[in-house]
Amino acid sequence: MFVSKLSDSIRQLKQKGFRVVGCFPLYPTVELLHSLGVIPIVLWDLKDQVRSLEESDCHIQGFACSVARRLAGFVLSDEGALLDGILMYNACDTLRNMPEIIQLGLEEKGRDLPLFRIHVPMAPRDQTGSDDYFAAGIRELVRGIESAFDVRFSPERFLESVKLYNAMRSLAVELEALAAAGRVSYGLFSRVIRDGYFLPVEEQILALEEAVRQASSVKARDDDGRGIIVTGILPPPEAVCAALEHAGLRVVGNDVASQARSYGRPAAETGDPVACYSDFYRNHMPCTTLLYTSDGRVRAIHDLIRERNARGLVFIGEKFCDCEYLEMPFIGKTLSALDVPDLQLEIAADDADNVESLRTRIEAFAELL
Amino acid sequence: MTEKRETSKGFTKTESGKRLTRMLTDDYMNLHRGAGEGAFVVWVAIIVPVEIFRGFDNVVFAVPESHAALSAAKGVGMLQCEKAESSGYSMDICSYARIDIGTAMSGGKDSPTFGLPRPHLLVSNNNNCSLLVKWFDVYHREWSVPHFIIDVPFCYERQKDRDRAYIVAQYRDLIRTIEAMTGQKWDAGRTREAVHNSSEAARQYKRFIDCAVSRPSGITAFDSFVQMAPLLTSRGSPELASHFRMLADETEVRMKSGLFPVPGERYRLFWDNIAPWHQLRKMSTRLADLDANIIAASYTSCVGSVEGSYEFLQDYDDGDPLEALARMQNFSVCPYGMELRFEAMSWAARHYGIDGFVFASNRSCKVYSIMQMDLQKRVAGTLGIPSVMIDVDHADVRKYSEENAFVRMEALLESIDAVRSRKGA
Repeated sequence: MFVSKLSDSIRQLKQKGFRVVGCFPLYPTVELLHSLGVIPIVLWDLKDQVRSLEESDCHIQGFACSVARRLAGFVLSDEGALLDGILMYNACDTLRNMPEIIQLGLEEKGRDLPLFRIHVPMAPRDQTGSDDYFAAGIRELVRGIESAFDVRFSPERFLESVKLYNAMRSLAVELEALAAAGRVSYGLFSRVIRDGYFLPVEEQILALEEAVRQASSVKARDDDGRGIIVTGILPPPEAVCAALEHAGLRVVGNDVASQARSYGRPAAETGDPVACYSDFYRNHMPCTTLLYTSDGRVRAIHDLIRERNARGLVFIGEKFCDCEYLEMPFIGKTLSALDVPDLQLEIAADDADNVESLRTRIEAFAELL
Repeated sequence: MTEKRETSKGFTKTESGKRLTRMLTDDYMNLHRGAGEGAFVVWVAIIVPVEIFRGFDNVVFAVPESHAALSAAKGVGMLQCEKAESSGYSMDICSYARIDIGTAMSGGKDSPTFGLPRPHLLVSNNNNCSLLVKWFDVYHREWSVPHFIIDVPFCYERQKDRDRAYIVAQYRDLIRTIEAMTGQKWDAGRTREAVHNSSEAARQYKRFIDCAVSRPSGITAFDSFVQMAPLLTSRGSPELASHFRMLADETEVRMKSGLFPVPGERYRLFWDNIAPWHQLRKMSTRLADLDANIIAASYTSCVGSVEGSYEFLQDYDDGDPLEALARMQNFSVCPYGMELRFEAMSWAARHYGIDGFVFASNRSCKVYSIMQMDLQKRVAGTLGIPSVMIDVDHADVRKYSEENAFVRMEALLESIDAVRSRKGA
């Protein structure tokens, strides 16, 4: 199996004596793990990390999204054996089946991993009070991690961790603005953000600071780069980023789940994880996977287009992602009413490098703008 | 027994079949009539507890999934799917959703029931599948109809008290929502009565599907697939319990009279997934010609059960109806993880004397299908029962190849013969 940054990072962390927990899907309780001395690694956007799907093909049909297939592929690989645990919360229909598929796959290999789960309430917040239910789940999660790793929770350390992650989020916002100004390519920006998920937050901050420093020294582009917004559950593959830029398009904002939806809003700075995560999930950036928030996505996209003066929207469709594909027709319709053209691209598991068929459509879209 | 058998072996049109047609016709007619006369119309996902609505004076409910299955069985599934696709909905999305969206967006055109009356409220739940929440969100946004989402924690293990209390709290909010929207007052007694009716209906339905225990089986799973429809459209009504009582009685009488769907039954098979609605008659007849019978299915066996089991839960004891409904909120297959599903399958293998499993890998239902490869391994490794996986789409015939499916199912029958030969040797 070809594995790059992700396994290198985990291997280095293990050599330093850290315990590493793989988390999925997008918005796990990373601050909590970090405060307990465990390094969270978000297992998302693994397209450049896991190139062979041989392992997952023994467990999952080909009509699952590449996110699930690569996730299983990684955790069941030799590199995945370096993990000390898995943490997940409820999201889509495919991902909810993953814990047991992974556990069975590990059993077949004679391996075992602690699995931590939390149910994030999906009822609209103005509909049913779920705070008590969620609070019990968070407390159970804390006890579970404490017990598995023989560690003790500390409100002070938790607050420190929240502040660190917020610092990272703030730098990500800064780098996004530099990308929008054309001072760093969207492809490079995406790589820095993605690779950051595989690093401890302290190193993620250093990497972002360096990227911001370098980008700040580059002169802003004074061309009339046609500004677009990119949306999707995953960012475009690097080759698509390059094709977008080659066609004269500039990504002036994004509604990508692992980018702006992840870093767009800071967590509440408190030492109480119940208060922190109640606020975190309740007021999260709209995301198709957080069922109660997705009503807000249309407005969020419209606002982004207006604020960034974007001329169009590019949807990066992850093949077999039902959540996204059920939302896009309506979003597209509302954009038509605003006279904002959109381009819908579909990326399948083996399409990361095979983008020539998309290039023509991207170029045609750029001409349209 | 004076009943006349109307079809070839494998699939029998009985008196209960005719009664079923009448019931469904009445259900849809009453739905349209009620809506036309000003009733409050709710669209629900299949395991939303409609017994709650029966506690109101003038609330009617429609079940889009059931309508989509009916459309597929009546041969208009593909047509409706294509309408949704032309509106931008991907062919990879669940075919029920595409049929329903296609029907709704064309004002009910080509629907066997003239579509469904426009809803005042959408009620979905996310434990059967969260895709359904997104599907109902389409109408929520297109038509500005309120959408109530019942959030039900997924069961990797048995339902916890904490989860049940959370579900009950949401039911109470649902009731308050409908009271506020309609001005009607919810009557707990009427819901209690509806829960009794549902419990009795499930008990009688279990009698019917247990006719598969006999050798040869008194039914095919295809019989039980079609009989599921009123479980969705008539749930909570006394007529449903009567229907299933007569159905079970009639089936038992037929068996006593020596009438079996596959008289020369040599292979007793188990189906795992939603019914292939577009293939019911074709598949059952062709299997019967091979002396094979799919006698039971996870899809139909779960009715009246919980925890991924197929055993009847219990008679309703007249307690808090919302508690009872919350307990049943996990009925169905999809709200359960692999351990619980495998437990249920193991029970079914023993209970029904299963010779082989057919895993229908269904591109339209990821929540049902994505774990089947591992279930298949466990069926082989732990139960020692041969199995096969075939590609199916429950409602979009374009994603099904009869020849491919039968090549594999015939190979399964050969495997069963090989196992028997080894045991005999």
